[in-house]
Amino acid sequence: MDEMNEKHSEEVKSHIDSTSNESQNAEKGFWFADWSFPIFVSLISAGVFAGTHMYYVYHVGAFNEVAVIALLQAGIAGGGFGAAAAFGTSFLFARILEGSLVGILDLGGSILTGLGVGIPALMLAVNFKLPLENFPLALITGSILGLVVGYIIIGIRKFTVGSSNSTFGADVMMGAGNLSGKFLGPLIVLSACSASIPIGFGSITGAAIFYFWKKPVAGGAILGAMVLGIFFPIGIK
Amino acid sequence: MTLTLILIESIIIGGLVGFAAGAGAARMFHAPTVQGMGSFRTLGELNACAGDSASHFSFGLGFFFNAWASAVGAGTFSQDVSHRIIPNWAAAVWCRKGKPIETTLHNPKKMAISGMVVGIIVVSFLNLTSAAIPQSLQAIAIKVLVPAANLLINPVMPVLFWLAALDAGKRTGVYGTIFGGLAHLIMGNAVPGVVLGILIGKGVDENGWGRLTTTLFVSVIILFVLSGFFRGFDLTLLQQFKLGVPGWLQGLHQMMGAGGK
Repeated sequence: MDEMNEKHSEEVKSHIDSTSNESQNAEKGFWFADWSFPIFVSLISAGVFAGTHMYYVYHVGAFNEVAVIALLQAGIAGGGFGAAAAFGTSFLFARILEGSLVGILDLGGSILTGLGVGIPALMLAVNFKLPLENFPLALITGSILGLVVGYIIIGIRKFTVGSSNSTFGADVMMGAGNLSGKFLGPLIVLSACSASIPIGFGSITGAAIFYFWKKPVAGGAILGAMVLGIFFPIGIK
Repeated sequence: MTLTLILIESIIIGGLVGFAAGAGAARMFHAPTVQGMGSFRTLGELNACAGDSASHFSFGLGFFFNAWASAVGAGTFSQDVSHRIIPNWAAAVWCRKGKPIETTLHNPKKMAISGMVVGIIVVSFLNLTSAAIPQSLQAIAIKVLVPAANLLINPVMPVLFWLAALDAGKRTGVYGTIFGGLAHLIMGNAVPGVVLGILIGKGVDENGWGRLTTTLFVSVIILFVLSGFFRGFDLTLLQQFKLGVPGWLQGLHQMMGAGGK
């Protein structure tokens, strides 16, 4: 038995050695290098920013959670972009710091929320709509922003290497962020119930069914409201 | 016509996001020596499926239906597309029994290629199906969504973040309260202030006042001063304390075109 364990642990050890060798050898290439990191960030940012463009123009195709896109939608509907801009950019700021310190950039906070919602909200707040209205421009804007973010991260990495391993409370924020996402489901049901009685019923049923299926309640609430909205339309001003 | 445009744009966007998300996910396995891109939960979930093609696929599929519901209802994919569906399905393409995961899941090149293909298919499918929903139905979704979002922005999120800051320790609580309150006064929403308060409080808790935390603190102060200035907060403040606004400050605001009522 002990022999087995020993053999096994040796195997694991040699396995770990071989993988670390492998990654060290491969680090020089494009796929593992520091210099290529901004390129990857740039590509994904171009896609995500253009996704926000699609949302702005066609109302489909944004990459974020419903709760976060709802912040942007509230701005587009005339409620002011302050919250979306502040929320998105502060997340971007926090994630850039965290990403360079821990070695994993969190796409959700930095690119999807920061570049995909925060920066567009900033642009719309100052009435600079062109990058969001035009697809090629959206791609270019996104890729430049991504390149900047990527270089900042690699820069901070060089600057603070080994000096810190704090996550700056990212876990606290992540917890609060996830919790606020949970609030959206009940809030949508409440809002549907104030819109009209049939839509309210639809939303309640949808939310209950989705909860039962272990799917997000917010999605069920919206879909339920839409289904009943087919038969009992309400005036949209 | 619109549908063709949506398809073309979706293919480009899906390809870009899929390529980068796939490569970033594979790079995560080599962190911290290599800078990865994804998230800790993605890393954990990919590890949990451990290179088994069927587990990767079914894990992604579960979230695919979530993403579909949210795309049809609200026009947005949920973060699951980039965090879960693309990485897991990209991995499912390469993982086979007997193949070591170092050559599949941990290989950025392979993951980038399969990620690109998965991204194109998923994004095009989600966008085309949600674009096919009639306008009037989307209008209902928005009419229901926007009031809920407004409630979420204020007061639900500020309160939740604030409480999280208070629970995270004395220093975080104090900084969260001060910056949160100031942010509500200056920017009209407490969330960014509370977030920055958590950032500074936790940073100081864990590292003390080093070069990094001091830089952070100073840049937060600059951020507050600048946004206060450009929103004309200083003018309103002086007026409401009945102190009178000096002419040069008024002039400076007019010169910079920076608000103030």
